[in-house]
Amino acid sequence: MARIGVFVCHCGENISATVDVKKVAEAASRIPGVAHSVEYKYMCSDPGQQMIRNAIREKNLTGVVVAACSPRMHEPTFRRACAEAGLNPFLCEMANIREHCSWVHEKSEATTHKAFDIVRTLVAKVKRNKALLPIKVPVTKTALVLGGGIAGIQASLDIANSGHKVILVEKEPSIGGHMSQLSETFPTLDCSQCILTPRMVEVAQHPNITLHSYSELESMDGFIGNFKVRIRKKARSLDEKLCTGCGLCVQKCPSKKISSEFDAGLGLRPAIYVPFPQAVPNKPVIDREHCTYYRTGKCRLCEKICPTQAIRFDQEDEIIEADIGAVVVATGFDIKHGDFFPEYGYGKYKDVIDGLQFERLASASGPTLGEIRRPSDGQVPQTVVFVACAGSRDPAKGIEYCSKICCMYTAKHAMLYKHKVHHGKPFVFYMDIRAGGKMYEEFVRRAMEEDGVQYIRSRVSRIYERGGKLVVKGADTLLGSRPLEIEADLVVLATAGVAQAGAEQLAQRLHVSFDAHKFYAEAHPKLRPVETNTAGIFLAGACQAPKDIPESVAQASGAAAKVAILFSQSELVREPLIAVVDRQAPPLYSSCVGCFLCQPSCPYQAIEKEEIRDRDGQLIKTIAKVNPGLCQGCGTCVALCRTKSIDIQGFSHEQVYAEVLALLNRGEDNV
Amino acid sequence: MSDFNPKIVAFVCNWCTYAGADLTGTSRMKYSPQVSIIRFPCTGRIDFMLLLKAFASGADGIIVSGCHPNDCHYSSGNFHARRRWIVFRSLLDFLGIDVRRVRFSWVSAAEGAKWAQLVNETAEQIRLLGPFKRYHQLRGLGVE
Amino acid sequence: MEDLRNKARELLAAKAVQVVVGYGRGTGASRRAVFIQSAAEAGELLFDNACRQNLAVYLMKPEVRKLGKMALVAIPATLRTILQLASENQIQDLELLALVPDASGAVTQLATFAAIEAHVVLQDNDLSAAEKGELQKYEIMGMEQRRQFWEEHFSRCLKCYACRAACPLCYCSRCTVECNQPQWIPVPAHDLGNLEWNIMRAMHLAGRCINCGDCSRACPVGIPLHLLNQKLISEVYTHFNSRSGMAAKADHAMSTFKPNDAEDFIR
Repeated sequence: MARIGVFVCHCGENISATVDVKKVAEAASRIPGVAHSVEYKYMCSDPGQQMIRNAIREKNLTGVVVAACSPRMHEPTFRRACAEAGLNPFLCEMANIREHCSWVHEKSEATTHKAFDIVRTLVAKVKRNKALLPIKVPVTKTALVLGGGIAGIQASLDIANSGHKVILVEKEPSIGGHMSQLSETFPTLDCSQCILTPRMVEVAQHPNITLHSYSELESMDGFIGNFKVRIRKKARSLDEKLCTGCGLCVQKCPSKKISSEFDAGLGLRPAIYVPFPQAVPNKPVIDREHCTYYRTGKCRLCEKICPTQAIRFDQEDEIIEADIGAVVVATGFDIKHGDFFPEYGYGKYKDVIDGLQFERLASASGPTLGEIRRPSDGQVPQTVVFVACAGSRDPAKGIEYCSKICCMYTAKHAMLYKHKVHHGKPFVFYMDIRAGGKMYEEFVRRAMEEDGVQYIRSRVSRIYERGGKLVVKGADTLLGSRPLEIEADLVVLATAGVAQAGAEQLAQRLHVSFDAHKFYAEAHPKLRPVETNTAGIFLAGACQAPKDIPESVAQASGAAAKVAILFSQSELVREPLIAVVDRQAPPLYSSCVGCFLCQPSCPYQAIEKEEIRDRDGQLIKTIAKVNPGLCQGCGTCVALCRTKSIDIQGFSHEQVYAEVLALLNRGEDNV
Repeated sequence: MSDFNPKIVAFVCNWCTYAGADLTGTSRMKYSPQVSIIRFPCTGRIDFMLLLKAFASGADGIIVSGCHPNDCHYSSGNFHARRRWIVFRSLLDFLGIDVRRVRFSWVSAAEGAKWAQLVNETAEQIRLLGPFKRYHQLRGLGVE
Repeated sequence: MEDLRNKARELLAAKAVQVVVGYGRGTGASRRAVFIQSAAEAGELLFDNACRQNLAVYLMKPEVRKLGKMALVAIPATLRTILQLASENQIQDLELLALVPDASGAVTQLATFAAIEAHVVLQDNDLSAAEKGELQKYEIMGMEQRRQFWEEHFSRCLKCYACRAACPLCYCSRCTVECNQPQWIPVPAHDLGNLEWNIMRAMHLAGRCINCGDCSRACPVGIPLHLLNQKLISEVYTHFNSRSGMAAKADHAMSTFKPNDAEDFIR
């Protein structure tokens, strides 16, 4: 027989002003199974909690109902108090008679009556509560970091420096990401590679980091603390152990006219190449699509010339398997390319370029060695127009959001141009200037005031060629929308930052969700910005939304801290409010019929197949099984199951059924 | 009929509507006391059988409410719930059961005022419809 | 008819199957299921317009299943049932043969789920015009009239569960009606229990029912149960563009969703 204790709180006068708490406590004492019922001024106070603890011990209570505020407020408090008195904390429930009753109704008999209804309902529930133990899941203390840009590098270093193993996977031949392509960085104008490459080298040399460049995540199974991943290491066509990175093959390769990805299409590279001189690892890779040998079966010059015989034309992709405890997704972003801007002549006119291309022009390691020369004829442009919000904040283009980094890098571009071409005339077409950040506004001001960059508040309607010049048409909205035209030699479009191609496929492999623009979704926009909805998978950098370097780095360190927290214990402890599949004695074994209609309904892929076999290993039946590491306890499967074979702890069929009946004053809990 | 006090059961999810109803309380907005809440982790957990049980046990009206689409704490429990409600509501209607007695809604944790309004509207609607005698009388023989 | 019998003889003689489940002579003009286990008995097989039972129901009966590999004389609903059961992980590919007689009496043998799928897409799987017309008749009725209609019918329900026994998709080893902790459905055949039972059955068949109509034919007191299922077939198709029994691997309407599923009543 249940021995339930009911503790009715006055909450000062918050409850007692409209609810007759004495009457509620008295009526509760008559509910069958209630062994103890009292009211008190402040249940959450120390003396209040002591009352509960004493009653549990003295009256031998099997369950507790605290009729007070919302469980969202004080459930942890009272469950702790129960635990301290030796009662399993999951045998304590709260009847919310404040937020849901005393505060929302006038003082009346009906209000008191409702408060009692709520208490009776929770008493009916708690009688059916079961003592639950926290779930413990083992944790593999190795992290997988996807993406070797600045976010991935930072996350890897932080995790590695906290003493845990890291596997860093980068799809390109070198780590470095977009940051390695940049010339100088706002708002300090320090050289991007100068601050980045030491970090890249640190990654390569760190004893806790295993780097797989030119590799991609093939598949992932499992759950927090216990992921199993398969990584595809694409064939570099050379033996990395033998290769010394001398670069002879790169020099001698006869097919040299391949557009360089690193130079954003403005430079050329050979078929066997290292993306840039400071690449990590500094080992070349053969681009099989363009290599003469792979195309025609002849050449093999690199093989002949290699002093260590490291070239392997027949190398195949390798699959690496690993056990992982947590994942940091830092796969970055891309910028909008292509025919997205026909009205701006992007792709049509060689001298209409995007921001990344301008970075390469301005970079000392770039195709022009840092001189600003336009792509069409190599001339130094005398007038340059920078167009901010090229695609961003433009619902008509399908990109409603602000790409966030463009205002700042456009100011930087105009400034760099002015620094390099002193007599040049830079113009910036903008919608609004968003320069929130430390020293950011000052930076934009400097561009305008010290470097004489002319800012024009106008969207650009069209760009076309006239007499060797690019005509940029707009209307200055600060001068009564007067139409204006500028004849430019070079136009730089700050095209929108977008999700990486393949972001969706990767999300599906990882079981994480993403927004309408394929940016990965954080678990909570304010309070859980580095977590995803899948436990154990964290986000860093621009794969979540466009971000600048300091933000990416900060988030990466945040994600790394989350990983370190997870790895700080050998077992992960979780609330046991999860779904379980019914098991019973033979011959039924389980009422589950194995239709697996529940499987697709689970948002967490937590439902697995379990084979029940006899002693000889003969299959008796296949039933559903809930993985306790993955289940988050939503109960979607529970309401779907036709045979009621799945139940959820804490909100079980018996519990909620009894609540409905008790609330309506039916069933065995009547007074 | 004017002294008819309907019994309304609200089936709500923990993360949005329950929290929204908490906000109604903390904002001290007033609403009709005829509605009582039963808390579920998610609208996806709400079994249609429980709605039937509520009517059978004397409820005159029912509110079912959870997170708005795309806001589900569990990312998609409410989408599954929505499909079930679409079908369930059609079935009730086809059986001649007055679907005006079941009010479905999305109330977020920020919509304390919407919760108060939802409760008041539903209570008013049910008051107009009167007691759900037809259903309550189905108990018939009274053996169980 | 001879084609069918010859086919059965051939399959049984070659031991390709251990039992042919087909139609034989019933009371009067009716037909009933026969279980032919030897070539000699194949003459009992019949096929005509009176053959309406969905023989796929026997796929889920352990006493028939234990006879061995089965060839099933199949009408369109039977084929949909096979695919639906496959999609619910209840039967495996190559576990059975379907024998589909056409109007001329010629028999097509379908040995794989893929072959059944290819056959099913060519059938008309929608509700028939007559069925739609009948459904509409009730849809346009007033709510009160509909309530009276069903109340009258359900008042005759005996809770004999013949509908469940006849239904090939009611294969659960423990039906919810047999749960007693809590007791979801009251045991006695009173109005409330009858209504709850029938609502529950319709909901459990939503997105799954393949419209064979055997529930109504099995009902000893003539409750038009098929109307409930057809109503939901129509709703599931209209709202979710989904039809059951079309593929051996399928997204089930009630365990999947689309973010933009349309409704007009959630406010």
